[in-house]
Amino acid sequence: MEVYLLTLEQAQSLIGVQFIPDNYFNPINDFDGNHIISIEEVEQCSIDWVKQLPLITYKPI
Amino acid sequence: MSFLVNPYWFAPSCGDADAVAFLTATGITDATISSAICTLVTTMKADGTWTKMSAIYPMVGGTATTHKFNLKNPLDTNAAFRLLFSGGWTHSSGGALPNGTNTYANTFFNPSANSSQNSHHISYYSRTNSNLTEIEVGGANTLQGSVLEIRTSNITYFRINSTSVYVSAADTDSRAFYIANRTASNVINGWRNSTKIATGTTASGTLSTQNYFIGSNNSNGSPNFYSRKECAFATIGSGLTDGEAALLYSSIQAFQTTLARQV
Repeated sequence: MEVYLLTLEQAQSLIGVQFIPDNYFNPINDFDGNHIISIEEVEQCSIDWVKQLPLITYKPI
Repeated sequence: MSFLVNPYWFAPSCGDADAVAFLTATGITDATISSAICTLVTTMKADGTWTKMSAIYPMVGGTATTHKFNLKNPLDTNAAFRLLFSGGWTHSSGGALPNGTNTYANTFFNPSANSSQNSHHISYYSRTNSNLTEIEVGGANTLQGSVLEIRTSNITYFRINSTSVYVSAADTDSRAFYIANRTASNVINGWRNSTKIATGTTASGTLSTQNYFIGSNNSNGSPNFYSRKECAFATIGSGLTDGEAALLYSSIQAFQTTLARQV
């Protein structure tokens, strides 16, 4: 399974932001401490820089 | 030539004020959904289950904006237990589908402030067959809480207002309507559709101060055990008698059948 990788600053900038009306981004950390968001959030949002984020393999905590 | 426009033409056609309030809040005008909501509310009132509810989430309309509303009190406020969705949910006519990675919905229902220690239930209508370690509704402090954990390694777990002691039952298909229910200090049971599949005498304890999350557990303020089971209905309320639990399933299943999304 894959997820999108964020920097700390990018993750913080998405807190409290809706990717569609009434549904908020939820950046979390993976096992390695990476900041990530899900494929569903990226596919449904319309923020250009979010759609350019790199994919990585998800490692759950 | 002039035309008269009936201002009520587009209003939901239902005689029940609670149903109309929900349809108005959500902006839903679809005739099938409107009729299903109207029938659901009137049936629950006739069955005596309506007054047992603090929150009813029908998950209709296909968007986060329509899914977030509590049928029992359709105000867009935390105090009305309106859902706040976080993470990669997929909203559709089937309901709200969590992704098992980072999704949960805060109900803002805090048991210590909003419920009774010995009369309480939580429920979830799952449209997905999954056998991983997932919690569909939950909120717990370090010691006390309530959890509905549907089909983890072929066992479904029920816990209401207690320490981490669960009643459980074997379960090989998580596509069903589930209720975790407490009706006395020493009476807890778990339901799958219209069948009581688990019973126990776990003593109730002090009420958790953590809001319930839907689509995950709320473990002392943080989501964990994210679910991937599509939610097509959920409720929070007082404890249900055996008859009420069966009637609640019957009314919800009829609702889902009208919407062509029953399991």
